[in-house]
Amino acid sequence: MLFALIALPFAAALALMLAPRAGRNLSAWTVGLAALAGLAILFVLAPAVFGGEVLRARAPWIEAIGLEFFIRIDGWAWLFAFLVLGIGALIVLYARWYLAPEDPPRRFFAYLALFMGAMLGITLAGNLLLLIVFWELTSISSFLLIGFWGRRHEARAGARMALAVTGGGGLALLAGVLVIGHIVGSYDLDLVLASGELIRSHPLYVPALVLVLLGAFAKSAQFPFHFWLPHAMAAPTPVSAYLHSATMVKAGVFLLARLHPALAGSTEWLLIVSAIGLSTLVLGAVAAVFQQDLKGLLAYSTISHLGLITLLFGLGSPLAVVAGVFHILNHATFKASLFMAAGIIDHETGTRDLRRLGGLYAAMPITGTLAIVASLAMAGVPLLNGFLSKEMFLAETLAFESWPSYQLAVPVLAVFAGICSVAYSARFVHETFFGPKGHPPKTPHEPPRLMRVPVEILVVLCLAVGILPNLVVADLLALGAGGVLQGPLPDYHLAIWHGFNWPLAMSAISLAGGLALYAILHRRGIARRIDLLSRGKIAFEGIVAALIGLAQRVTRTLETGRIQGYLLWLLAFILLVGASPFVDLAAPLSTKPAQPAGPMAVGLWLLIVAGALTVTVAYRRRLVAVIAMGIVGLGVSLVFALLSAPDLALTQLLVDMVTTVLLLMALRYLPAISPPEPERLARWRDGAIAVAAGLGTTAIVYMVLTRPHPSIAEYILATTMSEAGGANAVNTVIVDYRGFDTLGEITVFAIAGIVIYALLDRVRLTALTPFAAKGPAPHSLLLNLCAQLILPLAVAVSAYLFLRGHNAPGGGFIAGLVLAIALILQYIAAGSEWVDERLDHDWNRWIGAGLLAAAATGIGAFAFAHPFLTSSTPHVHLPLVGEIHLASAMGFDTGVYLVVFAACLLMLAMLGKVSRWEARD
Amino acid sequence: MSAPLPPLVDAVVAALLVFGGAFALVGAFGLAKLGDFLKRLHGPTKVTTLGIGSILVASMLWFGLRGGAPPAHELLITLFVFITAPVAAHMMVKGAMAIDDSTKPPPPPERPHDAG
Amino acid sequence: MTAAVLPWVLAMLGAAIFLALYRLVRGPGLPDRILALDTLYVVTTALLIALGIWLDSGVYFEAAMIIALLGFVGTVAFARYLERGDVVE
Repeated sequence: MLFALIALPFAAALALMLAPRAGRNLSAWTVGLAALAGLAILFVLAPAVFGGEVLRARAPWIEAIGLEFFIRIDGWAWLFAFLVLGIGALIVLYARWYLAPEDPPRRFFAYLALFMGAMLGITLAGNLLLLIVFWELTSISSFLLIGFWGRRHEARAGARMALAVTGGGGLALLAGVLVIGHIVGSYDLDLVLASGELIRSHPLYVPALVLVLLGAFAKSAQFPFHFWLPHAMAAPTPVSAYLHSATMVKAGVFLLARLHPALAGSTEWLLIVSAIGLSTLVLGAVAAVFQQDLKGLLAYSTISHLGLITLLFGLGSPLAVVAGVFHILNHATFKASLFMAAGIIDHETGTRDLRRLGGLYAAMPITGTLAIVASLAMAGVPLLNGFLSKEMFLAETLAFESWPSYQLAVPVLAVFAGICSVAYSARFVHETFFGPKGHPPKTPHEPPRLMRVPVEILVVLCLAVGILPNLVVADLLALGAGGVLQGPLPDYHLAIWHGFNWPLAMSAISLAGGLALYAILHRRGIARRIDLLSRGKIAFEGIVAALIGLAQRVTRTLETGRIQGYLLWLLAFILLVGASPFVDLAAPLSTKPAQPAGPMAVGLWLLIVAGALTVTVAYRRRLVAVIAMGIVGLGVSLVFALLSAPDLALTQLLVDMVTTVLLLMALRYLPAISPPEPERLARWRDGAIAVAAGLGTTAIVYMVLTRPHPSIAEYILATTMSEAGGANAVNTVIVDYRGFDTLGEITVFAIAGIVIYALLDRVRLTALTPFAAKGPAPHSLLLNLCAQLILPLAVAVSAYLFLRGHNAPGGGFIAGLVLAIALILQYIAAGSEWVDERLDHDWNRWIGAGLLAAAATGIGAFAFAHPFLTSSTPHVHLPLVGEIHLASAMGFDTGVYLVVFAACLLMLAMLGKVSRWEARD
Repeated sequence: MSAPLPPLVDAVVAALLVFGGAFALVGAFGLAKLGDFLKRLHGPTKVTTLGIGSILVASMLWFGLRGGAPPAHELLITLFVFITAPVAAHMMVKGAMAIDDSTKPPPPPERPHDAG
Repeated sequence: MTAAVLPWVLAMLGAAIFLALYRLVRGPGLPDRILALDTLYVVTTALLIALGIWLDSGVYFEAAMIIALLGFVGTVAFARYLERGDVVE
C-alpha cells in the first residue's frame, strides 16, 4: 500500500502521456483521482501513524551504492504528504477552470502529476539517496511546469533560472548527503536520524552541514538564492500556487526539519540557519511592499515567510520547531488561497498589475472577501491561523538566547518584518479591491463557481484553525512536530488568548506600524513608483554569461581546426598515463626469454618498417602516403595470418580496402601537397612526442608479451563449444563472451556513421585535387562488366563467411565488409546515381535495423530466463557450408553485419554527396 | 590431413610450386627493373597468371588428392584472379594515360590527302 | 619433396614482395607505385596459398580468396582517382 501511494501520481502521469486525446476534464479527473486516492490511503494509514508507529516498506534498488527504495512514513512525512496531496487536489480542481482552451491540458496535468509524485517521494523517502532522486525530479518537473508557456520569453528564462539554481543546490545536497552517508555508514534515514551525536562530533560535520544547507536554501529560495522565485511567477498561476505555497519551496524547509535531529543543535547550525532565515525574512518583506505585480508581491511574501520558517528551525529549540511546523501548515493554506485568488483576478480582469487594478470588490465580492480573509491571515491578524504561528514565532524570538546584540536584533527585526508584512497585505487588499476603479483590459466579474471552491475550502480552514486551533489542528501539529523532533514534544498549548504579554504587544506594534506605513506610502504614492526587483537576476545572468565566455575561450584555445594540435594533446596525455607504470624502473623489461625470430618474422618486420618509413617520409605528398599505407596494412594482416589469426587478417585486409577508398574520396578536397610545418621547434617537438609514444607502446607490448600472465584464452578455448556453441573462438568472443562489448562497439560505429551524415549532409567543398576530371563521366565498359560480375560472387562469399563464421574464420563483421566493398566497387564503376536508383540507400535506416536486431537478440535471452545476450543453440548442417550455428548469436551477428555494412556505405555516400553538390553548382 | 601423396604427385606439386615461385620472382624483378611504366606493367601480369596459377594447381593437388574436400577454394580463387587482374591493369593504364601524356599511344598516322 | 622445396618457394615469394616494395618506394610516378601495391597484393595471395600448403592448413584460403576477389578495388580506386580526381561520381 505504501508503494501504491507513491506510484499513484506517476501512474496518472503515465496514463495521461499515453492518452493522446484526453481533454481538460479527463486529464483533471485522472490527476485529481490520483491525489484523492493518495489521500484515502493516507487516511487508512492514519490510525497507525497517529498511534506513534513508523511505517516502512522496502524494495532493493542499487544495493552496491546503498540506494534502497525505502518508503518510511512517520508523523512528519505523513503530515507533509497530506499537505502535498490535499493542496494538490485543490490545485487540480482550480487548474481545470484556469487553463485556457488553447493550453494543452494533457501535458499540463501530466507535468503536474509528475511533480506531485516527485514531491511525495521527497516526503516519504526513507533513504537519503532516494530522497535526492526525487529532489532532482522536482527540479526537473518544476522546470517543465514553470516553462509551460514555452513560447513566452520570460517563462523560458524563469524556468531555466529555477532549474539552474535549484538543480545546482541539488548537486550540493547530493555531496552533503554523500558526506553524511560516509559519516554514518548508511543512507538509511532511521540510522541517520539516530546518529545526531556522531554526525555533529565528526570532523566533516561542517562541510556536510554547509552542503546540505546550500541545497535546502536554494530550493527554499533563501537569501542569496531567493531571486529565482519571483521569476518563476511566469508559470501558470495554479503552478505558482502549488509550487510556492505547499510544495517546491517547502521542500527545502521540509529537509531542514527532516534532518533536524541529525544536524541541528550546534553553534554552526544556529548561526548559519538563523542568520540566513532572518535576512531572508526581512529582505523578502521589504521587497514585497514595493511590487507592482500581484503575483510578484505574493512571491516576495513567500520568500519572507520561508525565511521566517528557516529562522525558527535555526533557533533550534523544540518549541521553535513546533512553531516552524505550524507555520508551514498555515502558510500553505493562506498562500495557496491567495495565489489562487490572484489567479482569478488575473483570469477575470486580464492583468495582475496593481497600478491598473482597484475597486474590484464591487465586481467580485465573494472572491474579494475570500482574498481579504486570507490576507489577514498573512498579516497575522487574530482569529486567523497566521496569527497563532506568528505569535509563537515572536515568543521564540524573545526566548532566544545568544550574544547580546544578536539576541536583541532577532526580535527587533522580526517586528520590522511584521510591520512590512502588514503593509504589503494591506496594499494587496486595498489596491486590488478598494480605492478608485482601475482600468483592466477585461470587465471583471466573478469566476466560474467551481474555480472558487478550492479558495473557499482553504479560507474556511484558515478561519477554523484560527478560531478553534485545539479542535482542528492540534493533533496534526503534534504528529508533525513529533516526527521532526523524533522525541518527546515540548510543553505548549494553542490558544488565541495568552494574556497581555510581549508577543501580543509585538503583534500590536506590527499591525499598527504596518497600517501606518502603508498609509504613508499610499498617500505619497511611493509604493507605486518604486519597483524593487531583485539584483539577483543580474548577478545570475552575469555569472552565466561569464561561464559561457570562459567556455568559448577554452574552446577557441583548444579547438584550432588543426589536427596536429589535437593529436599533440591526445598523445601527450596518453604518454603521461602510459608512462606512469614505468616510473618503477626497477621492474625488469622481461621475465622470460623472448622467442627467436624466424626469417618470415624478420621479413615481415622489415616490410612494415619500410612501409611506415615511406609514409613518414612521403607524408606531405598525400597520395603517395595513402599508397604506402597499403604496405603497412598488408604487412599487418600477414602478421595476423602468420600468428594463426585468420579472422584478424581478414578484418585487417577488408578495413584497409575500405579505408583506402574513403581516404581517396577525402583527398579530392585537399591540396595534393600538404602545407609545410610552420616551425622547426614544433617539428622537433612533434617528432619527439611521436617517437616517445611509439617506443613506449613497443615497450609496453614487449613487457606484456615477455612475462607469464594468467590468460583467459585457455578458458575460452576450452569452453567455446560447450558454452557458446561455436568452434571459432574469435567469433564466439565477439558475439557471445564479449557480446555486450560488441553491442557497444557497433553502437559507436553507428554513431560515427550518423555523425558523418550530420557533418557532411549540407557540406559544399571545392575540389583541390590536381587530378581534375576531363570530359564527361567515364563509363569503362570493362570495369562495369567486372563489377557486375563480382557483385553476385561477393554476395555469395559474404553469405558464406557469415554463415560459417561461428565455427570457422568469418562472421558478421567480415561478411558485412565484403558486401560493402563489393557495393563500393559498383559505385566506382557505375557512379552513385546509377547505384542509388537500384538500391534502398537509406543507410541510416539500415543502421537502425542492425542495432535493433542486435539489441533484440540480446533481450530475447530474457525470454528464456537467461541474462542479457546469452546465446543458445540448435545446429544445422548444410551441404558445402558445413555446420551452421543457428543460435541467437546468429541474430546478433546479423545486427553486426547490417551496422558494419550500412555504416561503411553511409560514409561513402556522404563523401560522394559532397562532390555531387559540386557537380550541380 | 591424412595420407601422404604418392611420390610422383609429390614431385609434380613441388615442381609446380617452384615454377610458380620463380615466375612470381621474375615478374616482380621485371617490375623493379624495367625502364618505364608501360614496360613495368608486363612483370606483374606474369605473377597473376603463371605464378599464382601454378601455385593454385599445386594446392589443388596437395589438398585434393589426399581425401579432402573438392578444391572449391582454389577454383574460386583462380576465377576471381582471372576476372579482376586484367581489369586492374586496364584501369591502371587509363589512370597513367590521364596524368602522363608519354604513356599515350601515338596518334594514328595522318592519311595523305587526296589532292583534287 | 614438396616439403623440401617449400621454404625456397616462400623465399622466392618473399623476394618478390621486396622487389615490389622497392618499386613502390622508388616510384617515380604514381602509376608505378599503384602498380607496385597491386603486385604486392597479388604476390601476397600466392604467399598465403603456399603458406597453407606448408603448414598443411586450410585457414588461409579465406584471406587469399578475399584478396583475389576484392584486392583490386583499391587499385581501381587509385586508378580512377588519377583519371578523374574523384573515385565515385
